[in-house]
Amino acid sequence: MNASIRPPKWADQLLAWFCAPHLLEEIQGDLHERYHKQRQERGKAAADAAYVGCVLSFIRPFTLKRKSPPYIQASFTDMLQNYFIIALRHMKRNKVFSTINIAGLSVGLACCMLIFLYTKDEVSFDRFHEKKDRIFRVSATLPDPEGNVFKTGSTNMIVGPSLQQEIPEMEAYVRMSSDRHVIRVVTKTFNQQTLWVDQNFFSVFSFPLLSGNPDKVLSDIRAVVITEQMALTYFGTSKVVGKTIELEMGETFEPFTVTGVAKNTPQNSSIQFDLLFPYQYIAERFPDKEWLGFYINTFVVLHPQAQYQTVEPKLDQVFMSKATEELKRAQQNGFKGVPHFGLQPLLQIHLDTEYGDIRNGLQYGSNPMYSYILSGIAIFILLIACINFINLTTAHSLKRSKEIGIRKVVGGNRGQLIRQFLNESFVCCFIAFVLALLMVVLVLPFFNELANKRLSFSYLLDGTLAGAYLGLFLLTGLIAGFYPAFVLSGFNPIQSLSKRYTFSGKNYLTKGLVIAQFSLAAFLMIVTIVVYSQFDYLTTKDLGYTDEHLVHVSLGRGDHSNLVNVFKNELANEASVERVASKDFGQNFTIAEVEGKELFFAFSRIDENYLPTLQIPLAKGRNFSKNYPADAENSIVVNETFVKEAGWKDPIGKTVYNVNGNAKNLTVIGVVKDYHFLSLKEKIQPLLFRLGTGDLWIKLKPAQTLKGLQAIEQTYHKLVPYRPFEFAFMDEVNRKNYEAEAKWKQIITVAAMLSIFVSCIGLFGLTILSTERRTREIGIRKVFGASASQIATLLSAHFIKLVLFSFVMAVPAAWYSSRTWLENFAYQIDVSWWMFALAGVLILVIALATVSVQAIKASIINPASSLRSE
Amino acid sequence: MKRTYLGEFEEVVLLIVAVLNGQAYGLMITEELEKQTGRSVSLSAVHAALQRLEEKGFVHSRMGGATQERGGRRKRFFTVTVAGSRALQEIQEVRMHLWGMMPKSG
Repeated sequence: MNASIRPPKWADQLLAWFCAPHLLEEIQGDLHERYHKQRQERGKAAADAAYVGCVLSFIRPFTLKRKSPPYIQASFTDMLQNYFIIALRHMKRNKVFSTINIAGLSVGLACCMLIFLYTKDEVSFDRFHEKKDRIFRVSATLPDPEGNVFKTGSTNMIVGPSLQQEIPEMEAYVRMSSDRHVIRVVTKTFNQQTLWVDQNFFSVFSFPLLSGNPDKVLSDIRAVVITEQMALTYFGTSKVVGKTIELEMGETFEPFTVTGVAKNTPQNSSIQFDLLFPYQYIAERFPDKEWLGFYINTFVVLHPQAQYQTVEPKLDQVFMSKATEELKRAQQNGFKGVPHFGLQPLLQIHLDTEYGDIRNGLQYGSNPMYSYILSGIAIFILLIACINFINLTTAHSLKRSKEIGIRKVVGGNRGQLIRQFLNESFVCCFIAFVLALLMVVLVLPFFNELANKRLSFSYLLDGTLAGAYLGLFLLTGLIAGFYPAFVLSGFNPIQSLSKRYTFSGKNYLTKGLVIAQFSLAAFLMIVTIVVYSQFDYLTTKDLGYTDEHLVHVSLGRGDHSNLVNVFKNELANEASVERVASKDFGQNFTIAEVEGKELFFAFSRIDENYLPTLQIPLAKGRNFSKNYPADAENSIVVNETFVKEAGWKDPIGKTVYNVNGNAKNLTVIGVVKDYHFLSLKEKIQPLLFRLGTGDLWIKLKPAQTLKGLQAIEQTYHKLVPYRPFEFAFMDEVNRKNYEAEAKWKQIITVAAMLSIFVSCIGLFGLTILSTERRTREIGIRKVFGASASQIATLLSAHFIKLVLFSFVMAVPAAWYSSRTWLENFAYQIDVSWWMFALAGVLILVIALATVSVQAIKASIINPASSLRSE
Repeated sequence: MKRTYLGEFEEVVLLIVAVLNGQAYGLMITEELEKQTGRSVSLSAVHAALQRLEEKGFVHSRMGGATQERGGRRKRFFTVTVAGSRALQEIQEVRMHLWGMMPKSG
């Protein structure tokens, strides 16, 4: 037959594809015969068109329907036992590959399980309250002193009662305020977190009581509810109803009677408390009718039928009707804009970053970003493990081509083979799954530390989580097993039995997957290096003052000028103490008028010793001094940023008006060099000092810190016998500013190490297979005079090229992510080329080490033995 | 009396198979059909009809007669079975009977 007389090839292929095999011969024959005739009668174009039309017209049920085979089909369960036996035997025989697959998958699965646990905990926050859907926190949107709008979850004492009075949908309100107090139990004193709540606290929130009537425990103004754990700490028993706890209030201790014992607060609760006191006590002692104060939490409960969207606008109405006068007054005094009130659902508090006001008894707010990033990393690692499985199984399948051929010859169909290979991946996954569970149990404490959680394994008994784990198992088995099952079952039995079967084509899939793996690993590696450098920068950067051997001793709220002076005298003779200074506790901010405009700045009261003790250098002027008695009333010291923002050329002698609402002019006597009084996450702000006292800041002599500390403690106990001694080394406090970053550093390091580990064991497996396949080639090359190093290069070059390529792929993403992360910091390192270079070299060295073990082993084999083998 | 239904198109195809007397295969039947009835018939329709006829047991088939034009593929030759020719006869008889009952006009 003339070769040119052929119908369009694609139409022929289409026919062959859809037509049932038992009909194909006659139909195709008829079609070709007709085409042949038409070609001679009507020409090529017409014949082709007719042919295509005719092929399409054969898409009919009878051609699509496959003939069922004449012999009995094995049912799914018949071969199941055999599949399991073969799977286990196969794993036993290829220990290296099974180990690689199982190790990788179990690491990946364990990561995912931990993240499930984590995420489940995150979304379960506050769901145990019966009225959870009806409880809201009153929030406020406020203009800040610079005119920007910010949102807060804090309100004031008057909001709750006013709203309930005016809005019929409000069923109840609970105010909540936290504080720190010194408490006395019998004769011992402790520094203790206290929470002050309205008396209906236990009817609004579902915290169970071990003893006491939930409706009445807080109705007395001198009542206190204690948690079981605290009762055990303070009294050694949980039967403490009727006992007395004394609270330091100003100069005296006031007694409160324990009326109830509550169960410890669950860890997935935003509200955390140890001791609960009646808010009524504060409301009576420090009444406040101002609407423009934002310092406590106010929770409200809506009626079951009420819609919070319709209630929300009423809040502003109530505010406007009650506080118009107050707002006017405030605006005359420089308050800008109008605050708006809103409702924030209780269930959103934990993960809401908008109203980031997690305080006053609320704890553990967390950014959902954290969950996303952790999940991303876990999925990365599991994906890398799945890729290992796919690559190794596909590459290894050449060895199993004979088995596949035989199975097909004795009647196994493709569906059965697919089931067999899927079964193998599930067996592998199952073993990995069990190992992963064990791993989770083992690393849970470490993970809790990293993720700031108190997760326990008992969580797993929960139905949804168990379901999710099962889903994870099935999905992993399917992802890992699907592709190999599909490819392996497609082997042609004749080819696989009659000759050495090799993969045709260039294996783009394996290459692509290896590149994907190493790109992920390289990405994490670069990010790790960036995080390390930034962390190093944060912890070693010169702060502008010295925080070494500096102890902060808390004296409690208020001005303690007499006490501070006594301390100074007592410690003056102590050899280990270099200097004693005083500064008020914490960091306050305030506003004042400077050159006719308003300035927002940080404000501290310090004594004349503070600047020299911390070694903060003066840029201009002088420090506070005892020689100038007027300093206490009229003088201030500011920092360089303050001078810059005030626009002063010659700051000494300039004045600042109305600091802290104190209507008089204060004169600048000195300027300190800028130093980082806040963490390095924030820019240096304007800072203003006045003379005053507060807590103690004591500089100890190096190498005598322990002795100095003992001396301070003794003096403390002598002078303030009723207070617990609390101190902190400033360098440790500063380091704590970067706790979150330290945790990120650990997380990202673990992630990078795991991903590189899993990628490398995969690469290791692939190298073994490729060297095995090339044993004879290597033998022949050696016979012809190739050196061992040439052979090793030959074997590793291919993989190294892939790794290099992956690295290049990872660079842009890593660069972008690093920049985004660094933007969180006011003071940051530059992402520089050496970080990428270091990551590149590291990853290359690791990959090279992995590959070359096998390559060198193969290159030194005696060619005589490798050529004889077959 | 249970009878297997024979469609109009199937009947014509079956007749042609009978006419071609052992030489009938898909393409030839199609061409013969077009020649005899003058209507255009698609090859796939004929194949489908033959398929149904064979399922009903009216035709019998065997493979053979590969030619070069067909790229060496064999033809499926159809012959009418006893059941097939009986079915044709029955249809014929019913028609004759009905023609006989027709009143003579004009």
